[in-house]
Order: sequence, then C-alpha cells, then structure tokens
Amino acid sequence: MGYVAARGGLRAIRAAERLIRRRRREAAAPEVSDEQFLAHLEPLVDRVIAEGGVWAPELAAAALRQGRGDPIEAAHLMRSYRSTLPVVARAEADADEMEVLRRIVPAYRNPPGPQLLGLTADYTGRILETTAVSDTADPSEITEVVDAPVAELSETADRRPTRLLDVLRALDLVVDRRRRDDPDPVDVTAVAVRPPAPRSGRLSVMARAETGALVNLWYRNILGPDGYLHEITLGEVRHGRLPVRLAHPRTGKPVTIGAVRVTEVEAIEDLDGVDEDRGRLDVGYGMCFGHNEKKAIAMANLDIACHRDAGRTQLEQSVLLTSDGLEATGFLEHLKLPHYVTFRSIVERKNAVREMAERP
Amino acid sequence: MSVSAILPDARPANVMDDGATREIRRAVLTAIAVPGYQVPFGSREMPVARGWGSGGLQITLAMAGPDDVVKVIDQGDDEGVNAVNLRRLIVAATGADETTVPAEATIIQTRHRIPEDPMHNGQVLVLQVPEPEPLRGVERDTRELERMHAEADYARLWVSLYEDRVRNGVITQTTGYPCMVGGRDGGRYVISTTPIPRWDVPRLHRSAFLSLFGAGRAKRIYAVPPDTDVEPLTFTDVPFEVETTPGAACERCGSSESYLVSIPASDAAGPAVERWVCSDTDWCRRRSESQP
Repeated sequence: MGYVAARGGLRAIRAAERLIRRRRREAAAPEVSDEQFLAHLEPLVDRVIAEGGVWAPELAAAALRQGRGDPIEAAHLMRSYRSTLPVVARAEADADEMEVLRRIVPAYRNPPGPQLLGLTADYTGRILETTAVSDTADPSEITEVVDAPVAELSETADRRPTRLLDVLRALDLVVDRRRRDDPDPVDVTAVAVRPPAPRSGRLSVMARAETGALVNLWYRNILGPDGYLHEITLGEVRHGRLPVRLAHPRTGKPVTIGAVRVTEVEAIEDLDGVDEDRGRLDVGYGMCFGHNEKKAIAMANLDIACHRDAGRTQLEQSVLLTSDGLEATGFLEHLKLPHYVTFRSIVERKNAVREMAERP
Repeated sequence: MSVSAILPDARPANVMDDGATREIRRAVLTAIAVPGYQVPFGSREMPVARGWGSGGLQITLAMAGPDDVVKVIDQGDDEGVNAVNLRRLIVAATGADETTVPAEATIIQTRHRIPEDPMHNGQVLVLQVPEPEPLRGVERDTRELERMHAEADYARLWVSLYEDRVRNGVITQTTGYPCMVGGRDGGRYVISTTPIPRWDVPRLHRSAFLSLFGAGRAKRIYAVPPDTDVEPLTFTDVPFEVETTPGAACERCGSSESYLVSIPASDAAGPAVERWVCSDTDWCRRRSESQP
C-alpha cells in the first residue's frame, strides 16, 4: 500500500546514513584533510567556528568534512558538540591586548598607529585564476612582498596600536557610554534573550549569527524598506590574536591559556536625533571569532543602531530572533517533515468554508 | 594533570550536559506550577535541527532514565523517519526502553498528535512545538506579546475569531487551536495547542496525564498539568468543531472514531476518490489484529 511505502523507518534512515558515508569514501578524490581545511580554507573554517560558538579550529575542520563543506551543517555539529560540554570556568579577554595581524582606520589618513593592510583581497583585481598558485608564482617574489612591511613594525607599539576611539575621547568628540559596574556578559547559550536585552546579549547573538543573515539584515535596514540604519564611518577594523585568561583552579590567579583569532570593528556614528548629543559622535562595536570583516562591520553598525533605536521599532527583535543560521535553516527545513495530520485539518476547513458558502 | 582530575564534572555528556538537564527540569517545574505560562529557558542545540523536535527532545532527555519506557510518534506514526531518529537518540542517551504501545510508556514524545488510547495518571506527554505563541497571528512584537500575556489581554484574539466567523461562516483555525488553560472563566493563560488537530484538543481537557510543550527554537516550555481545564476559545453560540468527514472510515480497521488521514486517489483521469486510514498506526494495528 502506498501509505506503507511513504513511511521510512529505521531501515531508510540507516540506508541514508550509509549513502552519505559511501559518497565520502568512494568519491573520485580523497577526503579533504584537517590540514587542508586549516591551511587553505581559513575563511570557511572561521565562519564555522564563529557560528558554532566554539574556538576549536581542528573540530571545525572535522565538522566541515563531515558536513561535506556546508557551513550551516558544520556549525550545527559544532553547536551540538558544545551542548555536551559543561561550563567549568569563565575566561576573560581584554580587547586592548589584541596583537593585530591587520588593522585599518578608514576615518583618518594618518591615524595614530599603523594602517596595516595584512591579509586582504580588497584591492586585488578579481580576475579568475584557473591554475594553482604553486604552479605560477615565483617563490622569491612572494617572500619579498610579504615580509618587508612586517619587519618594519616595532612589536610593542605597532602590534598593539592605540585605538582611534581613545583619540576621539581625548578630543571630547564621543558620547561616553562606558559602564562602571562591569556586569558579567549574558550567556546566550544558557538564557533566552528577548527584547529588551542587555547589550552583551545582542553582541553575543550577533557574534554567533549567520554571516549572510547579518549582512542582509544590515543591507535591508540601510537600503531596504525598514530604514532604521544610518551608515557609519569605520574607526577600527582589526584582525588579530587575542590572549585569553582564566583564573587558575588552584591559585585563583589569572593565567593566559592561549589566544583566539578575532575580528574587531568600531563604527563611528554621527548622532543627529533631536534627543541626542548632536555635538558628539557615538560608537558601535562588533567582534567575532576568526577573520570575518563582513560580519563584524554589520554587527558594529547594528549594535549602534539598536542602541539609538531604543525599542522604537522592532530592529532589536530582528537582530535577536532572526539572525541565527541554525534557527532559521532548521525551521525552514522542518517543512520537509510529514505534515499530513495538519494538512488533513486544513483541507477539512476548506470544505467547511465551501459548504457554508454554498448553503442557501 | 588533566582537566578531569581537577574538575571531575568536566566530563563531556552524551547529548546534553548536566547543567542543562537541571535547568530544563526547573523550567518544567515552573511550567507545571503556572499552567499555560511560557517559561523561557536556555534551549541547547541538539543533534536534531531547530524545528525538528529539539524542544521536546530536551524535555525528554532531562526526564528520562533507564527505568523509563518511551514511545515516540510523528503524525501518530511510530515508524515516521523523524520519530525513529528521535527514539534512537533518546534510547541511546538515557538507557530507557522503547515501545509503540501507549499503555506501556512512561513518556510519549509526539509531533502533531495525541495517541487515541486513553492515557493514565503518571504518564507524560511531551509535545514538540514549532511556534508556541498563540497570539502570533494578531501581534508580532515580542514586547507587546509579553504585555498581552501579562495582563491577560486576549481581546484581539477574540476579535480575530469573531471576524473569522463573520467572514467565513465558520472558524477556520485548523490546528494549534488557542485554548484557555484553567477554563474560559477561571483560566489565566491562553496557549497554542501546537499543532495538534482540533480532534485532539478536547483530550487535553481534564486529562489524567501531564502534557509538556517544548519549543526549542523559540526557547519556551509550557505545561498542562493533569485534571486541568483546557477550553478552546469559542463563542457560547458557536460550538467548537473537530475534524469530521461524513462517511469516512479507516480502510484497515474500519474505525470512524479516530483521527483519519486521507489517501488521495492516484488516478487523475477518474473521479476523485479519497481513502482513509488512522493516523495513529499502533492503535490501528491493535484494532485490526483483534478483529476476526
């Protein structure tokens, strides 16, 4: 009977699992190794780390392999792995201690500290190369180009440059919104955040958000029908290594346990509201795991936009409840589940409406 | 020295760590204490995607142990692929036994149905909820929704039901019918009976069993305790209607007193014919087997 055939059961599930494994095993080329992911597909690995919410590059590589390169699938594997881990301690990091690998300040021609271009394709003509870089480039030329500017940097001053924000503050150009009470940030994996949420909750949600979703949210708010956003000027775009500290479980003293790579953005906002300090600027903030400038910039602009919006529109709700990649795709894909119980109910009401309309 | 030597609790769990288990149990207890109130909880990511039963799964995992017997159904079917997948996960993570017979189960996790068999006190029904908000159709702003529930301001929901009735001659709400927990007069919170058919709604009313609703994506848990009034929102002169199709009967067990789902005719050339079968496959199987 057709009804029985439509049911899957355990055999069908196992067969589907075997099919994926066989596809991976019997593909025309060997599976991509951790090393290959980490060495060549860093932007992809970084996205999975950020959306998965776990700093574990090797696990992100393994998740990408298992998910056959689908970043959402890989982030899901990372997050469900994360759910098995108990929280044993809270680490701390001070963004001022970041050792920058790249830093640009679009707001000034000569900002304090270096304009350090670093790894970027921003100014490279996007011309498709069909041969591998190892086959074409002259090795000596590559070494020369990359190493020269790095050597000129003095380690202490230029790798940990002053923030533009500090200069703007010294010039009394910025509204001071620094908190003195230093509360613990909201852990969005343990607390359901809804508007109005603390700023740390908004920032955490955006740090784990799907990059495309955040970029689209930014774009539709800049140019789309919503129009809540003001375009910011970038004060800092940084990518670097951030030392992470933990209180030692025996001595209680802070110990540096390692470093994570993060992208950090400070977005300068031109205040123009009637109830705002129109003689000063304000700042939005973005930080996420890995090298992902698109995400950090969208985040910083949305951060200041949510602050200025102050609950007047549903912007914060959009940020908190519609930017998560796993939530959106999981909900979308659940439409593939059987819905014949609900559909039968829908059809029954259609008949009821028609019957009522045809009644004399 | 390893981390686990210093911190014995730092051992990774099977699917969900103990801290989450404790938190979900607390949320469940709050939900039982305040029937119908949507309790926020820090929903964890599960090995199944959001919208695929991650809320129900977290409740079941937080409750079940080796002494439990679980039944998992999707659309009333124990063999639906997602039901099978969830059952596999639950059994592996908790050591519980599995069954398809409702009477044998201590916990029944379900998507879209309540089993046809009467259930007894002590049993727990865990419903997977895609969207817990009964007011979603009349309000989108979460802050306003919070206020409406806090003030029991359900006026716009009543108006929407009235308008529906005036426009269509019938109330066209299909599944997830809004109900007042605690009764229309003495009740406090309106819930979405998400998304069981109207057929199953009366079976929540003064039920012997405990119903727990888990919404993983929306991060909400709510409950209907045993012996609690659950009344569908309807007008005194407009009776609540469950799904009925005159003349329809299950072609396997002959039932016309269960929730039936349709099998449309595959022959497009002939006149449209619908055949019917029970959505609750285990109930149907036992009925068929007991017939000569």
